[in-house]
Amino acid sequence: MSKIMTVDILSSIKGAQPSEAVNKLFEVIKNAQSTNNNSFNANHNNVSLDDLRDDVVIESSAQEKQIIIENFPKEKNGYLVVSKIIEE
Amino acid sequence: MDSQILHIHQQLTNKEISCAALVQEKLEALKPNTNNTVNSLLDNLALELAAKVDEKIAKGEPIGVLEGIPFGIKDVYMVQGTYTTASSNLLKNYKSAYTATAIQKLLDAGAIPIVKENCDSFGHGSSSENTIFGAVKNAINPELVGGGSSGGSAVNVAKDYTVFSIGGDTGGSIRQPAGYNHVYGLKPTYGRISRYGLMAYASSTDCVGPIAKTIEDIRIVLNVMSGKDAKDQTTYASEEIKAENISDYSNIKSVGYFKDFVESDAIDPKIKADFLAAIEKIKAKGITVKELDFFKSDILVSTYYTLAMAETASNLSRLDGSNYGNRIEDKNLKESYAITRSENFSEETKRRIVGGNQVLSQGFSDEIYLKSLALRDAISANFEKDFTEVDIILSPVTPSNPPKIGDSLKNPHAMYLSDAYTVGFSLGQLPTFTVPQGTNTGLQITAAKNNDELVLKFANFLKDTI
Repeated sequence: MSKIMTVDILSSIKGAQPSEAVNKLFEVIKNAQSTNNNSFNANHNNVSLDDLRDDVVIESSAQEKQIIIENFPKEKNGYLVVSKIIEE
Repeated sequence: MDSQILHIHQQLTNKEISCAALVQEKLEALKPNTNNTVNSLLDNLALELAAKVDEKIAKGEPIGVLEGIPFGIKDVYMVQGTYTTASSNLLKNYKSAYTATAIQKLLDAGAIPIVKENCDSFGHGSSSENTIFGAVKNAINPELVGGGSSGGSAVNVAKDYTVFSIGGDTGGSIRQPAGYNHVYGLKPTYGRISRYGLMAYASSTDCVGPIAKTIEDIRIVLNVMSGKDAKDQTTYASEEIKAENISDYSNIKSVGYFKDFVESDAIDPKIKADFLAAIEKIKAKGITVKELDFFKSDILVSTYYTLAMAETASNLSRLDGSNYGNRIEDKNLKESYAITRSENFSEETKRRIVGGNQVLSQGFSDEIYLKSLALRDAISANFEKDFTEVDIILSPVTPSNPPKIGDSLKNPHAMYLSDAYTVGFSLGQLPTFTVPQGTNTGLQITAAKNNDELVLKFANFLKDTI
């Protein structure tokens, strides 16, 4: 894990470089006065344990399955074809 | 009470028009695609549904208010069996396997979807120019942008191609194009409408909302789409907003506005003068108006974009061409991912993904990402304090008029800054409503969280006042 991951690798985008327009935005944050507030995420969207949805498997409809297969970029005998797993 | 939906409903039930003829008329109007608002027409589905509505009417069966009403859908919503491209190359042949909850509720109410609408790719933009379907042209002046990212939706409503359209708003993407095209556009409180089936951009601010020509139409559509949904656990149960509850606005006593917004160097002088003139008219009605302190625009924009980019980098990491999308094969899996994403994402999408991964990286996250989260908390706290002092916050929708087509693409930083007045309310997850009054790009009405009723009520007040 000593490798430094550059943004092009992290983003899976060839030759990607940080952009000047975006860096200008980040500079504003760096220079902003600290709010001295460590209680992150006041916008609480967390769900109460009493209100979790049922942990059950819901079978997709035949039509849904058919469309998922239609969306396969490459298909063989009804199966999705993917590239070989990376070996390194 | 002005309502296109109720007017058409009356015409259908009185048999003055047939639903098939109505839908056909809208489809014909959309076909030439003069403003580049159309990604795909849902003509077969729409005409099939219209025939069923006509059959019911012919049998003398009652129909619901939304039954037979043609509407448009921003092309980021799943509608089973239809192309859902997000205006991107990557998904240009992608078909939805299921239907978004908000759209399903409209279908259940009998509304008829007629078009998937052009927008900035994955919601990444403020002009609807970052799209493979051609820049959306403004409804009022086609040399100008339609606004974004829900530009196609706002233009279709403004041109009467749809009776209402469903947009998506992450940092202003309903409110700004509504303002640019002189129609109404609502970003409800975050969580009021399920996001299930909306392609995620920045999940903590993504909102589903209606665009229409009247306040009553917004109310009708909002009520149908609202409600708790087990498939989006950030949703909450909300009460129906009744028409009679928003017609009497006598209990609105105080309005605030951010002096930083109007004192900014970036605001167009005419927009500033018109906004202050609107404030004077409100004062003249006996409402107390208060100047409020707020964060500087550059802080708001930077906080929003930092968080939105981090979230979109994460959300869009699934788009690698393995299971769906326009896969480009290369020598191995990793290279296939990279070439697929490099070739298929727009420049703006790539800029945001890279920015997001930058701020989530070790060494940057404390200094930028976590600090942005803390700033967001401070912004929310500021809103909470403000709403103990005033009922409503009023603001311009944008600092300037719509740019010419092509200008925003040349200067992305200027495009980010043009969102200065909309992004703060997104970070606060507050209900905010663009009304086509007051300034050339409209006015924004904001209330405290979950108080969507109050923004509609104040819109009625403004309609009668200015």
